[in-house]
Amino acid sequence: MTALTFTLKTALNFKLNCARLTPNNLAGLSLTQIKNLSLLNSKNSAKVADFFDVSGNNAEHIIFKNSNTQLNYLGHKMLHGQITIEGDCGDFLGANMHGGNIICHGNVNDRVGDQMRRGLILINGDAGDYCGSRMIAGTIGAYGKVGKYAGFGMKRGTILLTQIPTLHATIQDCGVHTLPFLALLLSAFKPFLTKFNVITTNRVRRYAGDLASNGNGEILVILP
Amino acid sequence: MNINGIQIDNTFAEAFDMRATRVLITALNLKWAYHAAKAMTGFATSVIGCGVEAGIERELSADETPDGRPGLAILMFAMGSKVLMQQLEMRIGQCVLTCPTAAAFAGITSDEPINLGKNLRYFGDGFQTSKLIAGKRYWRIPVMDGEFLCEETTGMVRAIGGGNFLILATSQANALQSAEIAIAAMKKLPNVIMPFPGGVVRSGSKVGSKYPTMFASTNDAFCPTLKGLVQTELCDDIESVMEIVIDGLSFDDIAKAMKVGVEAICALSEKSGVKRISAGNYGGKLGPHHFKLHDIMK
Repeated sequence: MTALTFTLKTALNFKLNCARLTPNNLAGLSLTQIKNLSLLNSKNSAKVADFFDVSGNNAEHIIFKNSNTQLNYLGHKMLHGQITIEGDCGDFLGANMHGGNIICHGNVNDRVGDQMRRGLILINGDAGDYCGSRMIAGTIGAYGKVGKYAGFGMKRGTILLTQIPTLHATIQDCGVHTLPFLALLLSAFKPFLTKFNVITTNRVRRYAGDLASNGNGEILVILP
Repeated sequence: MNINGIQIDNTFAEAFDMRATRVLITALNLKWAYHAAKAMTGFATSVIGCGVEAGIERELSADETPDGRPGLAILMFAMGSKVLMQQLEMRIGQCVLTCPTAAAFAGITSDEPINLGKNLRYFGDGFQTSKLIAGKRYWRIPVMDGEFLCEETTGMVRAIGGGNFLILATSQANALQSAEIAIAAMKKLPNVIMPFPGGVVRSGSKVGSKYPTMFASTNDAFCPTLKGLVQTELCDDIESVMEIVIDGLSFDDIAKAMKVGVEAICALSEKSGVKRISAGNYGGKLGPHHFKLHDIMK
């Protein structure tokens, strides 16, 4: 079986909602059914084939090729499986995600993992503003720079970064620590072949928050 | 049967069904893993008085453990699942949670998960956090040295306890020295523990007693000082008997451990002062698993 691959045909000058293209939505559908799937689940909505070349047959692993920041809501309400994005993507990556893994090899726009409850999002590049906003649980890793308001309204969960972002007032600095669980977490990242594989330390600066929610979330910044 | 001048009695060890689990303890270094493991497996020689029988199965190198630190594998056996669950939680809570740098992980998988850190997390008083990593849930409990990391559950499996053999020797020193050599060989095997102090027990028991409240008492037939007073199993030149009790995850694991232990003693020959190898049983009426010495030593 080969990964179900969506290759964007042309550059877009408008935002495209890709919320329906998840392993749980596409499981059991034939290639023809997937190509004819309406992106917004409405009568006059554009079809998948209008924008993507589709190939492969394993809906548990979906690959987006030639992607760019116009593709919004990738992995929305995803329950299981894996989405690999071989490029950039737009807003709300992994929003409301309930499980599975999303690996983005490029940059991501705003509100990654908004209200995500479970699962893993790994970003090789930069992430925009409100990374992990309203996060309920789960793990987000962003290797590059992260915009403003990371962890805004997060209740639980972990945002793993390599650079200290501009943080808002209700994210609290808890100091520098060596956390044994990071060895397990980083070891679980290994199969995804991201930049996180070069990290060999468990030493982090820990920020807890968002204290305006219930403060059990954390932003961990890997120390060199 | 006679091996190198040592007689192997035509008898059998009688063993029982038990429930077992394995836990991996890691720490900053092996020294602190041992501190945690020894505390956790302390006072766990016999289910008669300790609730569980537990021991250190083997050392684990850093590349064998989930968190990449050195550690130890612990096996724990009990007569039932309820007592095993109670004892496991209590011992993890009092001996591993408290031990600097120590962490605890599942060491065995089964369809019957039992709690490891699931309830201990409440020690975190609301500051505990869970992480689901590669399908397994872990609890991170803030403690004064940093964080106590503990997997939520471990597996519970069916196992066997009470495999044994007796070393009958011309002196206490000879019996003990041979027992130590047998234990050293048996400790290299996976899936078994010898739960008594140093792996050796000197107070083998029989079922029942002249005192109504006692359900087990000294195995008088093998007590050298009672020769002439009771129906003894000992001949004149035997002055001391040591027993090695083995709990294992399967019949074959115990049988192999018994074979390795007896072979190690027989390799010393009769010059070691060991005259006979025997085994403890209750007439075959209590335990469903019979380890026949002659079959094992074939």
